[in-house]
This record gives sequence, structure tokens and C-alpha cells, in this order.
Amino acid sequence: MVEPVIVAEDLVMHFRGRRSLADTVRRRPAPPIQALAGVSFGVAPGEVLALVGESGCGKTTTANLLMGLLTPTAGRVVLEGRPISGRSRQELARMRREMQMIFQDPYESLNPRMRVADVVAEPLRVHRVATSPADERERVSRALTQAGLAPAQVYLHRYPFELSGGQRQRVVAAAALALEPRVLIADEPVSMLDVSIRAEILNLLRSLATDQRIAVVMITHDLSTVAAYADRIAVMYLGRIVEIGHARRILADPQHPYTRALLSVVPVPDPSARRRPQVLAGETPDPARVPTGCRFHPRCPVALDRCETDDPALITIGEDHAAACVLVEGGGRLPPTPAG
Amino acid sequence: MTAVVQAAAPAVTELVRPGFLMRLVRRPMGAIGLGMLVVAVAVALFAAFLAPYDPYVHAHVTIEDVYQSPTAAHLLGTDDGGNDVLSALIYGARVSLIVGFAASLMTVLIGGTIGLVAGYRGGGVSTVLMRFTDFVLVIPDLALQIVIVAILGPSLLNIILVIGGLGWTSAARLVRSQTLSVRERMFVLRARAIGAGDLHIVGRHVLPQILPLMLATMVLAVSLAILAESSLAFIGLGDPTVISWGQMLNFAFSRGAVSAGAWWALLPPGFAIVWVVLGTTLLGTALEDVLNPRLKRHHLERDRSIRITEPEGMGWLRVEPQHADSPLLRVRGLTVEFDAPGGGLRAVHDVSFDVRPGETVGLVGESACGKTTTVLGLLRLLPPGGRVTSGQVLFDGEDLMALSERDLRSVRGKRAAIVFQGAMSALNPVHRVGDQVAEVIRIHEPAVGRRVAEQRARDLLERVGIGRKRYGDYPHEYSGGMRQRAMIAMALACRPDLIVADEPTTALDVMIQAQILELLAGLSREFGMATILVTHDLGVVAQVCDRVVVMYGGRVVEDAATPRLFADPQHPYTKLLLASFPDVLHPERPLQSIPGSPPRLDAMPAGCPFAPRCPAVFDRCLTFKPPAFDLGDGRRAACLLVEPTHRPPESIHAHG
Repeated sequence: MVEPVIVAEDLVMHFRGRRSLADTVRRRPAPPIQALAGVSFGVAPGEVLALVGESGCGKTTTANLLMGLLTPTAGRVVLEGRPISGRSRQELARMRREMQMIFQDPYESLNPRMRVADVVAEPLRVHRVATSPADERERVSRALTQAGLAPAQVYLHRYPFELSGGQRQRVVAAAALALEPRVLIADEPVSMLDVSIRAEILNLLRSLATDQRIAVVMITHDLSTVAAYADRIAVMYLGRIVEIGHARRILADPQHPYTRALLSVVPVPDPSARRRPQVLAGETPDPARVPTGCRFHPRCPVALDRCETDDPALITIGEDHAAACVLVEGGGRLPPTPAG
Repeated sequence: MTAVVQAAAPAVTELVRPGFLMRLVRRPMGAIGLGMLVVAVAVALFAAFLAPYDPYVHAHVTIEDVYQSPTAAHLLGTDDGGNDVLSALIYGARVSLIVGFAASLMTVLIGGTIGLVAGYRGGGVSTVLMRFTDFVLVIPDLALQIVIVAILGPSLLNIILVIGGLGWTSAARLVRSQTLSVRERMFVLRARAIGAGDLHIVGRHVLPQILPLMLATMVLAVSLAILAESSLAFIGLGDPTVISWGQMLNFAFSRGAVSAGAWWALLPPGFAIVWVVLGTTLLGTALEDVLNPRLKRHHLERDRSIRITEPEGMGWLRVEPQHADSPLLRVRGLTVEFDAPGGGLRAVHDVSFDVRPGETVGLVGESACGKTTTVLGLLRLLPPGGRVTSGQVLFDGEDLMALSERDLRSVRGKRAAIVFQGAMSALNPVHRVGDQVAEVIRIHEPAVGRRVAEQRARDLLERVGIGRKRYGDYPHEYSGGMRQRAMIAMALACRPDLIVADEPTTALDVMIQAQILELLAGLSREFGMATILVTHDLGVVAQVCDRVVVMYGGRVVEDAATPRLFADPQHPYTKLLLASFPDVLHPERPLQSIPGSPPRLDAMPAGCPFAPRCPAVFDRCLTFKPPAFDLGDGRRAACLLVEPTHRPPESIHAHG
């Protein structure tokens, strides 16, 4: 197995919560918002890892921690064998070149007053990478071509409003690629795009991983978009990874009740396969009030009594497949869902 | 600092690019304001040439020269010192404008810096700066100005410093709030992710966005500064060595102009002050308008101008109202246009479809294909500038296009309800959710008492899964999914026969989406409601819709029962759309994307709207707009390939 280029080690992130009136009266501190409660994974060069979960599961916090935009309460992020915290200013700047990010909304993430050439050159200028104006032009063209905007000259002098949604997201990708990063974090890269152009952006990310050996972390709420493009999937619920492993294996045989429910509610474009979705009642609990025991037990259709007290860790259940559920302990399998 | 100046360059070019002045002058307020100000500045600049006398050179005066009424030699008479009022007025423009511009520049520099730092840094820095701003704001300006000028002595510089040093508070607050919103924007976050420093982000991304606001603020501050200077001068704290308009008023009042009846010494400086203040205010307001276009008005205003002309195109035959029977809703040849410079833009073209009682019909397509405009048009809820230009919408046999606005209101909400995508903006944030549901009931059933309406609203909240207890909560206390449930409760309030749901689950998580779809399906079964579901999600369509209407470029391209459409799509667009949609059960199936973009309304292809992106295009497609061909079994497709007389053509270029 290839050494991972970026590793998250037991990341914990607490935010300060709002103190309620009752807390103030009883002189209690506000309960912390537990955005992340111990998240670990690694991504190898050339690999696409999808972090999947609903809003509030901690996937965006994870991305911000990976990028060093937030400092974890506990745990650390290791890039190329060295933790990203405690680096000197120069090392930090260097590190920023290794990791780049693509955001959800290509309409919002481009400054409307900047031309494509300036958008893509901006990271080069910030990091003073280019040795000469000619070198800068060369790098910008190369990045645009890599992002699928060829010939680059056609796009250099355009403003964002002159581009389609897919082209805008390619410009964002080109700006990220200009620094030749080793890690690319894509936060919901296609959720704002029309379905008809999603495939081209996903194909682009896939080929960047395969051809350029970039490690890609793709954050999404939509299992169906990652199904065809991710090598591995990490399903998150309320600040934890509840299931992680080989993408196709998890999709074919989910072993955590939450993964199974999440998979069952993905609308399938096939009317002959009308499924009985296993709709979980209620919503993801407030991360300031995480349930005791297994954090999923109040909504779990197969919960046992011990789930109220036991907080299961990730248990390896097969080759590159682990789930955090007491039901798969000791080689057990998740029982079929009771017909509901 | 140079970095900041350099970085601000794009915004400056934005300000001076040719379109900008045109847009400003095209507004009456901008043209008049700019004109008034140009006159004032020209007078100040060319005072030496315009003024008949130099007021700073004191000629020998006799008692007869004092308060002389206007004559040919002194067009505006003379003042208390026997000097020419017109000349003083012209030279006074210099002082008043210098004070105005210098003090307002200071205002914007101080206020802008404080607002920018407070907004960008946030946290403790912001708290300290904004409390300080509040402190300065509550000081009565004029009183403090009087004290300070009295202590420092009334020199022109002191006056500018005092006015500028106290007047920056509103600029600080404006800039701070603008900075806050820019700071949250994605491209600022992206710049941080690139690794850019604060100076770079502020100079390159934040400042250019707030510069227009600062410019407008500065122009407005000019008038405030001129007024402040005039007030100070009027109470005798002006710089005695220079002539300003306030100073002229002061001398005129204090030295007997009123008792002498010398109106010419009083009115002109007053008029001049009003002139400049009015000019800058008009210009400033117009600048704000041009540079900072506010959010457009809410798109849910009623359609004021329905103009029915004869339907064109080849839609289904018109239906006589009395013969309409089984379908609950029949849309025939619906065409919607939006006003645009150079003629109407057709957003929806000759759209026809049926909805039977209890049936769920999906309206699908890419963004801007006209699906939302279609549903807004059929309920006559188009935004200003949009209107239905032809077509019929028969709802239970009644033509909605022919109803009076009053009759239509009794249909809307009561018999046909609409649920929108942005549930947060559709709920009023200052009213309790339950009251808003009860309000809908009382609007449509005035006979229902307050108590009963509240009881029914509680029942509805229970039915949509929110629970009776949350009646008294405000929208912000609801999660996104609950807000959408509340919207559905409001739609259900009067037991409608038809619910139009416009992307009801788009912004929601999949699990919440599943809950909402389950709710809608359950309600539709329970009450026999028909549903029109506008969505881009083919998965949702496959799972819940009975029929699918596929739209492209404002037209219906295919219409079929759901199983047939998915099993055997006829239109190339439908085929490609299906191929682009991921299926979590078949991750091995490669996804395609459709090359190109949907056509813009102002650049519709002459022939089939899909021709530029179509892999099966042939010569006739470029010139002929195919009508919807009836393929039997209630199935239609608008493509020449399925034309009954069609024979396979020579493809003019083969895509992939």
C-alpha cells in the first residue's frame, strides 16, 4: 500500500457553545459544541476519499482542519510525515502550496471583478512562485489546460460572468492546480451545478488523482455522486466516522445502520426500482447535546439496550472496511432491517 | 501600502469605465445632481474670472454703500461692509466646497478604516472599535464642535478637522456591515485557503467590493460637512479671515440685514447652501443606486398585465371550457415573456400538459429551462416585467387567465397552493410560525374564528410532523426541514386540490428530503391532491412522479408516464439527461455530461433549441422548431427524429 500523503489523527474539535439562561443561572459553563469527536483517516497519492454525511456531521470542519484553517482541540493533521501545527511561518506557507481547496459554489467563490488570468495567477503571486512574467503565463496556461480549459488563451481575459457554471468550477480548479498541490480538498464541488455538467467536474477530479497522483478529499452529502468516482468512502455522523473503507464494497454491503439508511433514501433514477426507503425519524441531534453511548442509537432502527451506554469504536470487518457498531463486533454482521 | 493602492485598481477602472457614467447620468437624480455640483465646482474654480469684484480687497466704502439694493453694478446688492454680495457668494463657494470635500474625505478615511478593520477582524477588535464608534455617535456633534473650535480657534483647518473628526461614525458602521458580508463570501474564503495574507485579501478582494459604497458615502458626507461648516460660521465660529456662505449669513444676521430689509444679503448664501447640499445628496443617492444595486424586489408579485393574444405555434388545440372534464389542470399553449430592452424575451413557449386529480407530475430540466416560470405563470404569480402573452390554464374547467384578480385570489392558496424552495425567505421572521399558518386559513375562510384557526393550525403542524407544541416558535428556531414542513402546512391549510412544489427539497439533506417526499406522497394519497413537482432531480422524479414533463429552452421536449420515459426516452435531451444522472445502485455505469450550456433567452437558436448540443442533429433541426409530436399513449416528444413522416437523415456532424 502507498504511504498516505495526508493523515488525520484522532481529530477532535470543540467550539464554544452559547450559554443558555438555565446555564447562566446555575453558573454552569456552556456545553461545548462537539463538531468532531475523534476522526482518523489517511489519503494516499492518486486516491479519492469521499467524506459523506448530512449537514452537522462535521465534514466541513474536517476540511478546515486539514487545510489548517482551524486548529484542532486535540489530535493532529500530518502532511507528508510531518504535523502541520507548530510549523514556522515559511514552512506554513510552503505547506499551503501543497494543499489546495475547491469550494461548493463556483458562482460565489470567484471574485466577480477579476479576470480568469488573474484568478489563476493569484496563488502564484501570493506565494511568489513564478520566476518571471513569462513563467507566470506559462504556469497559468498549464493549469487552465490541466483543468480542461483549452486552449487557455480563449479564457484568460474573460470575467467569471462570461463563463458557464462548469467552466467557473474549472477555473477554481485551475487556480488550485497552479501551485501543483499534492492534496486537493473539494468541498461539495458539484452540488451547485446542474446535473448535466456534474460528470465533467467529477471526471476532472478523478483524472487529477489518477494521472497527477494528487490525493483528493471530496466532501459531499450525496452518496450517488461519489459512487462512481471515489476509491474510498468515510461516512460521518455527528462528528465521527461510522463507516470507512472501499467505496464499492460499502455501497454494495453497508455494515453500519446509518450508512444503510442513508443509502436507502438516495433517489434512484429508475422507476422500476422503487425502493422502500428506510426514512429515519427526526434530525441529526444538536452537536452540543451528543447522545450517550452510540451517538446514533436514538435514531437507530436496530438499536440494542447496550447501545445507550456503549460507544463503539471502528471495528475492522473485512479488507479495507470498518464500521463503528456493536452489531458487527466479533465477526458479526448487521442484521437485515426490520420491515417498517 | 502600495500593494493596497495597486490592488484597488480594478475597482477604480470599474468606476471610470464608460458605462458607469452613462448609467449614472441616465438616472434623473444622477444627471441633475452631477450637473448642480459641476456648476458649483466650476464657480469655485473660476471665481477670479466670474466675480465682478475681489471681496478680499477692501475698497473704500461709505455709509451709502452698505446694504445697497441690487443694481447693475452690484447684481445682488451689497452687504454690511458695502461689498458686492455676488462676488462674496462666488468666492464663498471655494471655502464651502473645500471644507465640504476635505472634511468628507477625512470622514471616509477614518470611518472607512475603522469599519474595515472592525468588520474584517471581528471579535474583540470589532467590539472595541464599534463601542468607540457608538460613543462618538451619541455626542451631540454641534455642541462639541462649538467647544472645540472655541478652544482651538476658528481657523479653516481646525474647522475641517473638527467636522471630519466627528462625522465619520455612520461611514464606519456602513463600511463595517458591508465588510462583514464580503468577508463571508466564498471568494474571500478561497483566498484564505490559497494562503493569502490579510493585506492581500483586504486589498484585492474586500476593498474593491466596498469602494463603491465608500464613494457614495463620501459624496453624501460632503453635504453634511457643508451644512456643519455653515452652522459653525453662522454662530460666529467660522474662520474670520475667509468668506464662506455660512460666514455671509452670520454677518448678515448679526449686522442688521433683517432690520434693513436687505433680503439680498440673506437669500443668496442660503440658496447656495441648498444648491450644493441638494446636488450632492442627489448625486450620492444616484451613486448608491448605480454602484450598489439593491436586491431586486421579491419575485412574488402579482402579474398586473395579462395580455391574451391568439396562441401561436403548434400547441394542442384550444379546449372549450365547458368540455373540459377529467383533468384537474389543463395547460394549453402557455407562453410567458419578460420585458427587456429591445423587445420581450420569451421564457416559456407554448407549454401544454395535463394534471389529473391525485396525480403527481414532475416538471424537470436544467436550471433556466423555464420550469419555475411555467408554474409561476400558470398561477399568475410572475415577477414584475413578466407576463403571460398567450395560452389557457383550465383549472377544474375555469380559465385562470380569464379570471379577475379577485376571483383568482380565491383559487390561489385555497384550491391551488404553492410551496417554494427557499422556505426561510418565504416565512416571515418576525411572526410565530403557527400564527402564519393560522393567517392563511383566515385569509381564505374569513368566517373561521381566531380560536378555530389556531386549533386547525396546530392540527396541521401535527400532521406535517412538526408537532402542536412548536406553534409558538419563530422561523429561526426551526431547522431547514421543519421550515419546509411549515410551508407545506401552510399550503395544506385550505385543503387544496393541487399543490405546486417548486424544488421543495433542493437545499435539504437526503434524509430530510426523504422525509418531505414521504410526507407529500402521504398527503396526496390521503386527500387525493394532485401535485406538480418542479425538480432537477431525476431520482426524485423516478421515485414519486406518475408523469414527467421534460423542459428545455422554455419548451416541453418530452412528456410521458414515468416508467415509459425512463425505460424508453425519445428525445435526445431526455436520453442525455438520464445518462448524466448518477445511480447509486450502479456505480459502474459511466456518467456523461451534456456539452455546452442551455441557450440564453436572448440568443435562442432559430431551429430546435437543443440543436447546438444535440448529438443527433441534422440540417432541418437548425431551421425548424419541432412541435410536440403525439406518439400515442399520452406521450409526446418535440424532436424531428420522432416525426411520424421522418426517415433517418444523413447526420451533418457526428458527435462522440
